[in-house]
Amino acid sequence: MDAVVQEKVEKVLRGELKYTSTNLALNMMISKMQKRLQADAGSMEACMKEMEAFMAKYPIVAKVDLANIAAL
Amino acid sequence: MLFTLEETVALINEGKALHIAADDSLLQKLPKGNWIGGSTPYFISEDGGLFTKERLFVNELDFAEEIRIAEYGKYNVFQIVEEGFDNGLTILIMPYGSEVAAKYSKEAPNVEELIMHPTIGWISGFELGTAGEAKVYNGSTGQAFSDKAVAMYIRLPKGKSAMINMINIFSDDKTDPVIRFSDNELSVRKCTVNGQEVDFADYIEKKGIDPGMPLVADYNGAYINTSIKGVENGEVSFYAPVFKDIEYRFATHVDDYAAEFISRIAEAGARQPVLSFNCILNYLNGALEGKKIPPYTGPVTFGEVAYQLLNQTLVYCEVLE
Repeated sequence: MDAVVQEKVEKVLRGELKYTSTNLALNMMISKMQKRLQADAGSMEACMKEMEAFMAKYPIVAKVDLANIAAL
Repeated sequence: MLFTLEETVALINEGKALHIAADDSLLQKLPKGNWIGGSTPYFISEDGGLFTKERLFVNELDFAEEIRIAEYGKYNVFQIVEEGFDNGLTILIMPYGSEVAAKYSKEAPNVEELIMHPTIGWISGFELGTAGEAKVYNGSTGQAFSDKAVAMYIRLPKGKSAMINMINIFSDDKTDPVIRFSDNELSVRKCTVNGQEVDFADYIEKKGIDPGMPLVADYNGAYINTSIKGVENGEVSFYAPVFKDIEYRFATHVDDYAAEFISRIAEAGARQPVLSFNCILNYLNGALEGKKIPPYTGPVTFGEVAYQLLNQTLVYCEVLE
């Protein structure tokens, strides 16, 4: 994940940018990370690691959704 | 698609990997083989929704490179996250009313690794209005269970991924009151409404809320329903649990359930779902008997699994490059 995309993803997880995927698993994942960050604002690094693992697991999602998030 | 018993037996005897849904009276007659099954007499076929105890709905899982089948009880059902293939798909069937289904429904959202393992499935059932018993079958042993889950692990070819999605006609109005619960429960007496503790059954009655409308939770734009099973003696029971730390609202009223459902089907735009499971409440409230909803064909279910247990949705899986 390059720096620009990473910054946008972090904003989505903090709720500063709104992004809804057409993919159920990604929406569940974002929702889960948002709740974790609401409970512990210092957990961004761990959240991003999980997001990266998720994107590695679902390359189709990574290709489409990361491009969409980058364009926000 | 729907097959006769003889045609289904022939497919099993060819050694094909199969997912089978049918009335229990038919599942009992199947030989051992590479299949898992669950009981239901309701289906969405290519010719429309129907009730039948004379034919079986069979998915030929031709995309599978390898399969494994296992059964689990309530103490080990989450081994599914360890035992699936790295690049795979898990089909999970659990009997309605079983402890394993209750355990899965309550705990799946908190199982960290589950979302990394595409898991789709359904809750098996029986003819409504009868004293039927929901069953699941491990075709590799020929055993039937009313108290265990059965899982089929499918290894996908390199470069292909399983994508699981859902169709849900319900959403919320963000100006409606926020409802929260204190624990993960299948039935409750109390909740908070905008932070104030109330008796939930009283709240539903006093506000004139239609209990046919589910509670909905917004998971980043994906609305997940929790349907009310009944309100009795001050206790509200659900078909799937409510969770603490989740904000719920009652779904906004849907004027024409059937039209809304057909409209959402058209919007979803799935191309070739390899599996599709549709809730009995959609079948009944959406008046789907005799209606075609291509390309979504499959059993009509007493609950759907897309990673976690869902209600009043249609879940489907596509295998994409």
